[in-house]
Amino acid sequence: MLRKLGFHLILFTLLFSLVGCWSRKELNDLAIAMGMAIDKAEQGYKVTVQVVNPSEIALKQASTMRSPVSVHSETGETLFEAIRKITKVSPRKMYFAHLRILVLSEEVARDGISKVLDFISREPEFRTDFYLTVAKDQPAGNVLKTLTIIEKIPANKLYLSLETSEKTWAPTVALQLDELVSNILSDGINPVITGIEVIGDKSVGQTRKNVETVAPTRLKYTSVAVFKKDKLVGWLNEEESKGYNYIMGNVKSTVGHVNCPQGGNVLMEVIRTKSDIKASVTEDHPRINVHLAVEENVAEANCSIDLLNPDTIDHLQTKAEKIIKSFMEQAIRKTQTEYQADIFGFGEAVRRENPDVWKKLRNNWSAVFAELPVDIQVDVKIRRVGTTNQSLQKEMQE
Amino acid sequence: MGFVRSIKKINKQRRPLHHPHLDAEHEPLLASLALNLSKIRQTMGQSSDLIVREILLRQDPLVIQAAIVYMDGLADVKAVQDFILPSLMQHRHSLPSSLLQIADLINEIKQMSLTVANLREITDFTGLFESILSGGTVILLDGAAIGLAVNTEGWEDRNVEESTSQTVVRGPKEGFTENLRTNTALIRRRIKDPRLWLETRTMGQMTKTSVALMYIRELANEKVIEEVRIRLDRVRIDGILESGYVEELIQDETFTPFPTVFNSERPDAVAGGLLEGRIAILVDGTPFVLLVPALFTQFFQSPEDYYQRADISTLIRMLRFFSFFIALLGPSLYIAITTFHQQMIPTTLLISLAAQREGIPFPAFVEAFMMELTFEILREAGTRMPRNVGQALSIVGALVIGQSAVEAGIISAAMVIVVSITAIASFVLPSYNFAISVRILRFLFMGLAASFGLFGIMLGMLAMVLHLSSLRSFGVPYLSPFAPLNYMGQKDSMFRFPHWSLLTRPRLISQINVIREETPPAQKPNRRET
Repeated sequence: MLRKLGFHLILFTLLFSLVGCWSRKELNDLAIAMGMAIDKAEQGYKVTVQVVNPSEIALKQASTMRSPVSVHSETGETLFEAIRKITKVSPRKMYFAHLRILVLSEEVARDGISKVLDFISREPEFRTDFYLTVAKDQPAGNVLKTLTIIEKIPANKLYLSLETSEKTWAPTVALQLDELVSNILSDGINPVITGIEVIGDKSVGQTRKNVETVAPTRLKYTSVAVFKKDKLVGWLNEEESKGYNYIMGNVKSTVGHVNCPQGGNVLMEVIRTKSDIKASVTEDHPRINVHLAVEENVAEANCSIDLLNPDTIDHLQTKAEKIIKSFMEQAIRKTQTEYQADIFGFGEAVRRENPDVWKKLRNNWSAVFAELPVDIQVDVKIRRVGTTNQSLQKEMQE
Repeated sequence: MGFVRSIKKINKQRRPLHHPHLDAEHEPLLASLALNLSKIRQTMGQSSDLIVREILLRQDPLVIQAAIVYMDGLADVKAVQDFILPSLMQHRHSLPSSLLQIADLINEIKQMSLTVANLREITDFTGLFESILSGGTVILLDGAAIGLAVNTEGWEDRNVEESTSQTVVRGPKEGFTENLRTNTALIRRRIKDPRLWLETRTMGQMTKTSVALMYIRELANEKVIEEVRIRLDRVRIDGILESGYVEELIQDETFTPFPTVFNSERPDAVAGGLLEGRIAILVDGTPFVLLVPALFTQFFQSPEDYYQRADISTLIRMLRFFSFFIALLGPSLYIAITTFHQQMIPTTLLISLAAQREGIPFPAFVEAFMMELTFEILREAGTRMPRNVGQALSIVGALVIGQSAVEAGIISAAMVIVVSITAIASFVLPSYNFAISVRILRFLFMGLAASFGLFGIMLGMLAMVLHLSSLRSFGVPYLSPFAPLNYMGQKDSMFRFPHWSLLTRPRLISQINVIREETPPAQKPNRRET
């Protein structure tokens, strides 16, 4: 009896050794990839991966003077091949679950990003919560090779500054993978991706010297890239990007100024916006109506106007409305005339309004969009004028 | 579970214990004092603590030889000297001398002379030995085949002291002692009701330990009482030295890490259990009293829960459940997440953990296992060692388990944190034997986590819950009132509702007389009679 019991126990114990701890990876066997950049190579792609050096980042007395990240790149005919090839230069296997940013080169973007995205959205190790960006005028790999100061991990810097600038300065778009894929697949909307630039000396940016100076080589988000389906077709400038975000209701907060009649300007902070895109269809001719409600505070008054006078406030509101409206019109005009890419989702609005008409128009939507009449209504309300009433200039005069 | 069944079969084949020499004593006393005394001396093997004091009773016209027999140290010598000897030696019979018979004399002594409360007649040697070995004094007269056994128990006892194993901040500090009678008195002092019944029996062929069943008639389920009686009667063992013996012999399931019998050192906890309809089993010689049926939630409850405000007690109970899961799963979750599911860790934490693991030579499982083992060794050493070397151990232990291991780069700092919080969490559980089962299961879960990750932990949890729901304690499902779900039972399991709302006793324990008489609904405060 006891022998039988022992036999069962041994069998049970062996069960544990059989599984061999399948898919087990210790933390110090992982190379945690925080940023990935994809460039075109002669054949296929060049993949650059930014890997953190944990002991340099986490430990309090990190003074080994080693770089907080290391960057590996390798080319391959497909993305996956290139990534696996990186193990030739990296001692550890890449671990992509904590990827913060994916930088695509302009070349890859113009060629069509769906080839790249298939692998990334299929591979279970990639999560969908990283941001995408397009490197403007330079190889994407260079973006990952620049060291940054406050955030020791450059990829983290890219992630956080995109997030912050989207929240407080409107022209950037923080776009995550799942949203991008659904925008590409949808007929009624085209995606946009924020662009990024390296400002300053690129060779210095790659050395530790870069983090020892106060005004180093920097990574900067610029305007927004317009895509038609999965192909990059052009860029919006900063004002147009802002207009785009106003239309999309992406603006959480931003600042903008209006000129005073007697010179000088009044700066206003947008604190809340709400946009409403509605389509109306008359005899197969769609028409778009964008209504934007904006709430603002006066943030700076650099001229002698009387802020306590309700008429002045009305005047400022009308002026601000005009400016915001012009941003939006610029954005629409450029996408209609130059790119014929409906990045605003007007097609979606038409589909919601009248699905039958949308069925007729969807195959020809780019052409329809180029001619689409858009009415814009902006409604600005100034809520507060800050902790002082009159501007300093006005008080000085008195 | 084939092998469990086979072990049970082996147990069944074992023969009942048989003690032929014990049966030989079962013979009646003789009429001759000298023969009786020699028989006693012979049976006791001339033990030096056996005291036989021979005296002469001058009863005109007779001179009767008599003897008192007691064990030195067990019997109270003062009582023997002050009450028994004087009353025997100064007795003068009142009957006419010519009619004096030995039997009449015994009756007279019994009825008129002996100034003691507890007295009985014995007729055989078994009774005689039982009496003197439990502290009694036996009076033997020449010519009579009966002896008088006087209860003169008077050995050294520990006083009623504060319980050391289950401490409270608010609540009575008294704890049980090793004396059965003191213990029953401690309970009776709390429940002054004639329905609190006590059944005493002797268990253990050699030790003859008194074991008492205590329950409140009309509250305790008669079927459960009968079941306890049957199980106690079934026990054949030569010695019972602690209530743990009884617990193990009467529990429902041997092959489980979970205790199905509750034990307590606190009279208030036992009284509370009795009032819920449970049955207490008191064993002479140990301060630990057993309570059955015992449920899973009971091991998360401290008597203090009922003395503190209801809201505080509820939060603290939840804290205990939470600590239970930390103590059970702490290291295994750490192992599973850091070796299988790194994507679940926030990035900054992951980098910090990875930095700590740089240069650690062992896999996370080995690391955790080593630390847990070290801690278990320290804890066991801390419990067993003499009190005055404790300080040395705690210093060395803290160094080994903490700083040095981290500084030497053998263990990562995060692991020390995990092991420490696990250890501390296991001390939160008010019941020590339940905490032990958590300790055992923790290692099992660590193995599962190291082999299968969170999937393994999930499997382990499923198996554990299935096992728990299969357990019963004296017929009551172990997981009640969670499974089977009982709405009213929830008021006093994870939560502790205010006393005015605890209108019923646990349903499955006390199946009769469910309503607590002492809390009619009208006693809810703020409720005005209209």
